[in-house]
Amino acid sequence: MRDLIDLWVGAQAWIFETLVSPVLFHFGLMAWYEPGYSAVEFVMLGVVQIAVIAVGMRFFERRWPLEKPGRDDGLIMVDRVYTVLNKLGIIPLAIFIATYPLVQEIELLVRSWGFAPPRLERVLPWIGDNDLVSFLVYFVLYDFAAYWLHRGQHAFGWWWALHSLHHSQRRMTVWTDDRNHVIDDLLITLALVLFSQLVGVQPGEYVVILMVGRLIESWSHANVDMSFGWLGERLLVGPRFHRLHHALSTPAERHIQDHNFAPVFPIWDILFGTAIYDGKTRPTGVDDAAVDADNGRGWLTQQATVFGRFVRALIPKFRRRVSAQ
Amino acid sequence: MTRLSIAALALLLVTSEAARADSVLVLNSEEASYSILSRSTRTEVTRLPVGREPHHLILSPDGKEVLIGSTATNELLSLDIKTGERKRVVKDILDPYHLGFSPDGKWFVTAAYRLDHVDIYHADGFRLAGRIFIDGLPSHIAFDTQSKTVFVTLQQSGRLAAFDLATQTLKWNVPVGNAPAGVVMLPDDKRLLVALTGEDGIVQIDPRDGSVKGSLQTGKGAHNFFPKGDGRHYFLSNRVEGVVSLIDTKDELKVVGSVRIPGGPDCMDITPDGRELWVTQRFLRRVAIVDVETLKVVGNIHVGKSPHGVFMLKSTATVTAGAPVRAASTAGEIK
Repeated sequence: MRDLIDLWVGAQAWIFETLVSPVLFHFGLMAWYEPGYSAVEFVMLGVVQIAVIAVGMRFFERRWPLEKPGRDDGLIMVDRVYTVLNKLGIIPLAIFIATYPLVQEIELLVRSWGFAPPRLERVLPWIGDNDLVSFLVYFVLYDFAAYWLHRGQHAFGWWWALHSLHHSQRRMTVWTDDRNHVIDDLLITLALVLFSQLVGVQPGEYVVILMVGRLIESWSHANVDMSFGWLGERLLVGPRFHRLHHALSTPAERHIQDHNFAPVFPIWDILFGTAIYDGKTRPTGVDDAAVDADNGRGWLTQQATVFGRFVRALIPKFRRRVSAQ
Repeated sequence: MTRLSIAALALLLVTSEAARADSVLVLNSEEASYSILSRSTRTEVTRLPVGREPHHLILSPDGKEVLIGSTATNELLSLDIKTGERKRVVKDILDPYHLGFSPDGKWFVTAAYRLDHVDIYHADGFRLAGRIFIDGLPSHIAFDTQSKTVFVTLQQSGRLAAFDLATQTLKWNVPVGNAPAGVVMLPDDKRLLVALTGEDGIVQIDPRDGSVKGSLQTGKGAHNFFPKGDGRHYFLSNRVEGVVSLIDTKDELKVVGSVRIPGGPDCMDITPDGRELWVTQRFLRRVAIVDVETLKVVGNIHVGKSPHGVFMLKSTATVTAGAPVRAASTAGEIK
């Protein structure tokens, strides 16, 4: 393990000191020196994630596919674009630049009042005795926040207008997880970063939580006919559990997508009464022609049309005017 | 209890004490932890939780405590100088990024890097005497030997500011170069050295008015100083260059040696015998050990993420009145 960490950190330091640091220094951007180093790690983690998805997870999709190859296969391509843009940090960088001043202002304002949220270790000292326990506790907390944010994405009309892009995919695969509108990504990132600061997640822990969490979420979208078993399906979100959340609603199951929200730990759905374990296989997508039309569009067109959908949902006056036309 | 068991217990206590006196503290700034390293075995003995975003640490005036600035929890965490164990928490110290006691031990000053202010406290009881808001990321601090003035680098605005300790007012605020960080007052009390992280060297400043009196090229990303202990030579970490320079300050400034330390070398401390310089390598999650005589790296120790401040625990640390200037980066001057 130590050798692996050495290899990783050595590669990160080499990339930073050879390619990034001289550029920052040359252009007088030393204020970005430390964030620049973290950004290198983010991109490296993205490459690893893409490799795990493209090689590891795709192996299972090819070997045990749930939906056989068909005419909708072409719809997957745009999801690959989303994954690459997200995992390599292009979208996160844009979000970081957009949200950084706001996050900073909020944090500095709160801190200047003298309020500093303590780490959980202050309340529960035993957490700090073991790195794995500490990581798991913060991971569970993070996932709890993510669960409620996900419910918010389905509960508010304006937020659903954005999030429906994620659900519109009829051909769910390991690439689908990153298929989100940038504003949706921005809102979720902003909320989770603030929550993480509130409970005391450290930058180092945040990176690992993000990496492990997003990999599990990629896997939960996989087109595979596999299960973790009765107990495993209740401990960790898998493809069977999450596929139900993407199920196409029918007259008999009008609110089927209001279930199985949990990103990583199904315990939240079990606790809050939103879990369904029935083992049925359902087609995925959204029963709304306007949303379904996202399929077949490219990245830019999807972003533009979904933004329009978002504005119309957000501003009722505009919506009326538009519908009057 | 038999004599034998009493003797064994005594031996255990003595060896335990010796082992702890042999220890080195390293703050893992992105992990909210500190590592306790063994000087003799050059290994990490343990890693313990501490606040959030700890960056610098400083010896207390009575020499009995090491104070860690936990920047994101607005507090100082006190560790026992002999054992490294937690003693107490000093609350309501806002954003204590860089910190130091005046040489007479009466004043305690913090540079609130992210909140843009400099706080001057009465060291006795950490009572706030004055808070001065100043733009530009207050970064590192140094004192004059008379304990009348504190100097603070402003990393973003490229300036150096001087504050009167007794009145907590600004004396002067002048431009010195791109991204100034480490600052140190030389023993003659007539020259300040400022490391320019946005450039490739240091400048020499007149502490009376902040005028630049000279400069020295050392390496890209000149960042922080540490005294060799002879009152003449200073080590300087150059973060971008990945080099630690040895500077002779007698008469004209000159570089008299250097050693390659990759991984963004930052804070330093010297072993009590003066033979080894320990340097945190922020990016490599390691501490490099340099032989001071030969200026060769003789060892490395793995620590946590983004190691920043480093401090040698000493079993017999004492502070004498009028001791040399001490701030977090130069704590090792107090032997």
